Amino acid sequence: MSSLDAIGVRVEGPDLKALARRNAEPILHEIRHALARLLESGEETVIDLRGLPLSDFDQDFLVGELGVGELECRLDALGKSVIQETAYHGVWLVTHFNAGEQIIGRFVEVTFVPAILKSDPIDIRSDLDRLTERLAAGLEEGSAGEVDSQ
Amino acid sequence: MSLLDFARGPALEWSLIIFVIGVVWRLAGTFLFKGQKYLSKPKGTKFVSAGLMAIANKSFPPHELEKRITFQHYTGYLFHIMLFIVVFLFEPHIAFFDWALGISWPGLPTNVITFSSAVTVIILIALGIRRATDPVMKKLTTIDDWISWFLTITPFITGMMAFAHQNIGVRYEDLLALHILNVCLLLIWIPFGKLMHMFLLFPGRYQMGEKFEYRGVKA
Amino acid sequence: MPSNMTLGERLRKQGVSRRGFLKFCAATASMMALPPTAVSALAAGLEKARRPSVIWLSFQECTGCAEAITRSEAPTLENLIFDYISLDYQHTIMAASGDAAEAAREKAMHENEGKYIVIVDGAIPLKDDGIYSTIAGMTNLQILKDTVKHAAAVISLGTCAAYGGIPKASPNPTGAAAVSEIIKDKPIINVPGCPPIPVVITGVIAQYLAFGKLPELDALGRPKAFYGQNIHDRCYRRPFYERGLFAETFDDEGAKAGWCLWKLGCKGPITYNACAVTKWNYGTSFPIQAGHGCIGCSEPDFWDKGGFYEPLSAGTFSAGGRLAAAAAVGVAVGVGSAVLARNSQKALHHKEGA
Ligand code: SF4
Ligand code: SF4
Repeated sequence: MSSLDAIGVRVEGPDLKALARRNAEPILHEIRHALARLLESGEETVIDLRGLPLSDFDQDFLVGELGVGELECRLDALGKSVIQETAYHGVWLVTHFNAGEQIIGRFVEVTFVPAILKSDPIDIRSDLDRLTERLAAGLEEGSAGEVDSQ
Repeated sequence: MSLLDFARGPALEWSLIIFVIGVVWRLAGTFLFKGQKYLSKPKGTKFVSAGLMAIANKSFPPHELEKRITFQHYTGYLFHIMLFIVVFLFEPHIAFFDWALGISWPGLPTNVITFSSAVTVIILIALGIRRATDPVMKKLTTIDDWISWFLTITPFITGMMAFAHQNIGVRYEDLLALHILNVCLLLIWIPFGKLMHMFLLFPGRYQMGEKFEYRGVKA
Repeated sequence: MPSNMTLGERLRKQGVSRRGFLKFCAATASMMALPPTAVSALAAGLEKARRPSVIWLSFQECTGCAEAITRSEAPTLENLIFDYISLDYQHTIMAASGDAAEAAREKAMHENEGKYIVIVDGAIPLKDDGIYSTIAGMTNLQILKDTVKHAAAVISLGTCAAYGGIPKASPNPTGAAAVSEIIKDKPIINVPGCPPIPVVITGVIAQYLAFGKLPELDALGRPKAFYGQNIHDRCYRRPFYERGLFAETFDDEGAKAGWCLWKLGCKGPITYNACAVTKWNYGTSFPIQAGHGCIGCSEPDFWDKGGFYEPLSAGTFSAGGRLAAAAAVGVAVGVGSAVLARNSQKALHHKEGA
């Protein structure tokens, strides 16, 4: 044992919570501005959480701060996605997972309704064709509710 | 070969070789060549204790001068202690000694090192300013002092910069390379300049104590 | 698949809905570090993207890079993009062999002159006219020059193609060289790594497909979007580094507590790659998370930067013998000068005495 051990050095862990609060605050401010913009001019904002220098802990803190709102949608396309309105109306948390259930994207969207929820004309057209075909075939083979997506 | 490869490779290799040859040469030369023989009879007998006493005594300011030189004396001490902490107790440095000499020891937390480095740099700047402005110091100062001063302060600055590279937006590898190259220059310079005192100081004092004892002078 | 089908059409054919496509674009943009506002541009670009012809040349390599990208499980971003390209030549995975394979390469070059992309994995031996690696009687050097002549761009996949990698490691018996040392007149994108991260490979291809131009590169020819930051700056062990808490061995208390691996030779501080962010195996983990330091696999000459287990503050040579020799020289010179000095002093005494 070296005599250096006698020097009472205590290593303090960083205060993760305080750090997370510090990191989350500017983003919350940004969200506040985005909400105001949305009301005034209808301008939508998307924030890529993975593009920000946030640790997992910071992200969880931010998400916890935003809270859980009244609406949650699940999308099943190339893996799951969860589209959730936070406790603040107009602030949505969109999390995309891949087939291996890993997060491949996490966004805060400030909008009336996230674009991904709307049915797309291209899909509508092909489904219109499908329904037309089915009716022409007299609803015979196959099941009606087949979802044409991955 | 990147700059860092050069620094960690040939630059470090050659500067270490020059450093070792230079230091050993000067130490061997100094201690093997003891100067002229005394023709008189020795006036004392306790050479070893006289030598050790000289080392100890000379480590405090002489009584008569105490008031007038306290500043440089104690800043000098503080500086050397801080320097020691940074050079020998920073973990990455210990890893270097482990590689070079095969021995290692426990280090200190990084914030202590950062603090010590900052203090060292501040003291070095203060001593540098004093050296540049004080009329007496100006007369005593040679180019050797300035080279030694420069080569001592720069590794501290580049080292701290390397550690904080993210905040200053320079790539770590470039700063680390600069830091190592700085140290290489310092290594090369040590045997040939006043910085050699790090090896000669205590043995020199010891020899002086010995000689005084021979002549019956109280050190 | 008709070659004039756009990527959007192709994905729809595969049953990917528009929502799936938008999700795919959002995730791809995020992966490529594009701002969210670029998603619609990316979607529009990818929707209209035409299937590019790709010729994949494998030279002095271990096939690890090809494994990395072809092993991803369905359906991921990686293989959706990868499936889309028209891989007209890849001698490891193509059905054709021998003359038929070489004919496929010639045909792709001919039909897509000036438009096809060449992916290279592996270094190219140059010594003794490149005889150390040949395919169908041609040296790698000949094939590379011949194939790249009419290409739009070259992607050097993996550290071997990008910087010479392991074949080039000292003493480099075959004179292995990187693509960029041979090809000077074509745009080259380096995607180093041993192997490169699959999403990085496809990210580069996606960017090229969507925007029709090459990504912004760093000084070592790597796309900045993926290689912009070093491992150290994104490493979750960084707080331990900052506080000076280092594991000393792979099984000490520090290692168990997840302390920084710097003293165990981690090259994270000088290595630019996306591992710390994208991780490996579908985001499961990356080497540092598994307890081993980064070995710097995406950097030139990573094999020759001293030991993998030597810290960055160590030299890249072995110190012991050299320093002992230097000390011996020092003693000799010191003794020599002392003797000389004594002699001249004696001479002086003699003179004085005389
Ligand atoms: S483990 Fe490596 S990359 Fe991570 S902080 Fe330590 S030195 Fe940096
Ligand atoms: S951690 Fe380092 S050595 Fe390992 S894969 Fe990533 S860049 Fe390569």
